[in-house]
Amino acid sequence: MSETRIAPRIEIENPVAGRLIPEALPAVATAPSPGMGTLGLIGAGLGVLVAGLSALSIGNFIADEFARAPWLGWVSSAVAATGAGLIATAAWRELRFIHKLDAVDQLRADLADPNRAKDAAKTWLRTLPHSADLAPALDAVNDPDAILALLRAGPAKIIAEQAQALGRAAAMQMAAITAAVPSPALDGAIVTLRGIRLVRQVAGLYGFRPSTFGTIALVRRTLLSGVYVTSANLVVDMMMKAVTSNAHVQTLAGDVAGTGTAARRMIVLARATAAACSPVSPEA
Amino acid sequence: MQILEAARGLIPVRRRVRIGVTGLRRSGKTSLLTSLAVNLLAMGRGIPALPELSGHLAGRSLRVKLAPAGADAMPRFDATAKAASLATDPPQWPHPTDTVSLLAVDLDIGQAGMFGFLPAQGLRLEFLDYPGEWLLDLPLLAQNFTDWSESTLRRLEAFPEARDVLGFVHGLPKGVAADEDLVASGHRLYVDCLRALQSRGLSLLQPGRFLMPAPGATPPWQGFFPFSGSGRMASLLQDRFDAYVRAIKQELQQPGFAGIDRLIVIADLLSALHAGRVAFDDAAQALALVAAALGQRRPLPLLPSWLQPWGIGRIAFVATKADHVASRQRANLASLMSKLIEAPDHADWRAFALASINCTEDFVWTLDGRPVSAVRGHVAGQGVVRSYPGEVPNQRPDLADWSHAFLSLPNFSPKRLDPGGRGTIPQIELDRLLVFLLEDML
Repeated sequence: MSETRIAPRIEIENPVAGRLIPEALPAVATAPSPGMGTLGLIGAGLGVLVAGLSALSIGNFIADEFARAPWLGWVSSAVAATGAGLIATAAWRELRFIHKLDAVDQLRADLADPNRAKDAAKTWLRTLPHSADLAPALDAVNDPDAILALLRAGPAKIIAEQAQALGRAAAMQMAAITAAVPSPALDGAIVTLRGIRLVRQVAGLYGFRPSTFGTIALVRRTLLSGVYVTSANLVVDMMMKAVTSNAHVQTLAGDVAGTGTAARRMIVLARATAAACSPVSPEA
Repeated sequence: MQILEAARGLIPVRRRVRIGVTGLRRSGKTSLLTSLAVNLLAMGRGIPALPELSGHLAGRSLRVKLAPAGADAMPRFDATAKAASLATDPPQWPHPTDTVSLLAVDLDIGQAGMFGFLPAQGLRLEFLDYPGEWLLDLPLLAQNFTDWSESTLRRLEAFPEARDVLGFVHGLPKGVAADEDLVASGHRLYVDCLRALQSRGLSLLQPGRFLMPAPGATPPWQGFFPFSGSGRMASLLQDRFDAYVRAIKQELQQPGFAGIDRLIVIADLLSALHAGRVAFDDAAQALALVAAALGQRRPLPLLPSWLQPWGIGRIAFVATKADHVASRQRANLASLMSKLIEAPDHADWRAFALASINCTEDFVWTLDGRPVSAVRGHVAGQGVVRSYPGEVPNQRPDLADWSHAFLSLPNFSPKRLDPGGRGTIPQIELDRLLVFLLEDML
């Protein structure tokens, strides 16, 4: 028994309708967030206890002072308010810096968007000194790839070179310091401190003034962006050759184990920080 | 394994995968390459244009750019211009390719999690666009002139378009001399016949370079036609056939063609079904011949090195225009493709039902009181059109199947794309195809 088939059919549904609009892209399935871990819960609990109990203690203290004498209460309140204000200012500064770091991501996304690339390029140029010369060239091009190429050849290149110079200077210092410091344990501490200073110096080139937590956030981003820049091993090797072309440094690098590694880290760190702070992704 | 994959980035060399893209005439190679380029570049900008690939990357970063052409002699596939033409209003379908070209894309794949500090691994994807007509020359590499002539003349008997050339060939006296004018007339009649059959929708038209000549002046050895007699003319035609085969072999052994690692073979089965039983059987035979040429286990004396079986690790047989049928029918389309080919036993292979540029959306249409899965899309000059193209058979149609009306395919326009074609191109199964071809490299 053969099944009755429905014949093929074509019908005009809407003669005046325009072309279809593509559907939104499906979300990529990602692993569900594991939520706050045990250590996170303990840390959060300690934070609540310290902050909450401190606030309660200060409140009780101020109440006691008011009970003793009103002027003591007012003075205590003023001291507490000043302290809290300073802490709030620091927190605001940290948050603002982290927001500025996020804005780099947004700027990077805008530069990748053909419709917003030009505005994003202008926005970035406004934050940089001596970039007005580039404005006419930027106005003349409409191709988003050309806009990116212009930024790469102009401000991004200049700042990246300055960052590399800072990295080379830090590498020279590290080569000398690791040879002079007698303790390997102390070596690590010095490399860490110099590395943090280098991160802040390079961030300064991009208009950032990172403070403590901001630097931590930046270091984290820098480590992630290291994926991009450490692949350029040839470039790093070339810079290392430039650093070790100094006869004294050559001798140190030959005699003292770890000198070359510490210097190399500074060069990579400078490049990675530049990659983290720049809205223009480096060319592979 | 994750450690090994992560450690790839430590090798300061960009690995290269060369993927041959070839297919029967008008099967959609150009659209496929354009969609691949646009969507891969979008992936590099963080847009999940190829969701299956995003899932496979599992959070690893991906940077993509078109590889610089350098001083390479191979013409580059101009994906940017072709994408821009699709995004115009009204859209223009990209012009089909008439010569070999290369689409080269550089991927930098970062590492995730605890290996995040390792360098990104570099991978260059080189898609080699090979004209569909020339694909059908591959089976010639394993044939001699006599066998080819006999099979071709026998096949032509079925077509009224071949009446003139068959009359000429069979009318030549025995032992006829190798007269240049006679040979030229026979060649012209044969090429005319091929063109007539091509416009009728047939695919198995050999030699392919008769319909799409290589750039430059036509060499004298290209002037031959199938001939079953003997004598001096037969010797001349045989010499020219052999020279033709040698030329193909030499061309395929050029550095540009060497080292093909993966292969995509494309066919428009839906249009062949719509064109009728003769056209479908012809396309199926062409596909089977190509698959058999690719599936030879032993090295063939004339088969170029890049087509020797162990050179190609993965082969994807792709039925295109899958957006012309509803999603419920696409499994049938892939199944039909897999049934038409003889599985190569030396390489991983899979059949896909794919739309490089998805022009439609699914909906349920009630026809003759029964709900059916159909598609709707925009057709230039007609607005939005509904289409129910009939049932796609999941295996080679039998006589009973051909007694029913088969598919009719509207010429749908692409959906609205971002200006300049710089956004994404909606696709069906393109992401799965890419993951299949590259999963051991990512």
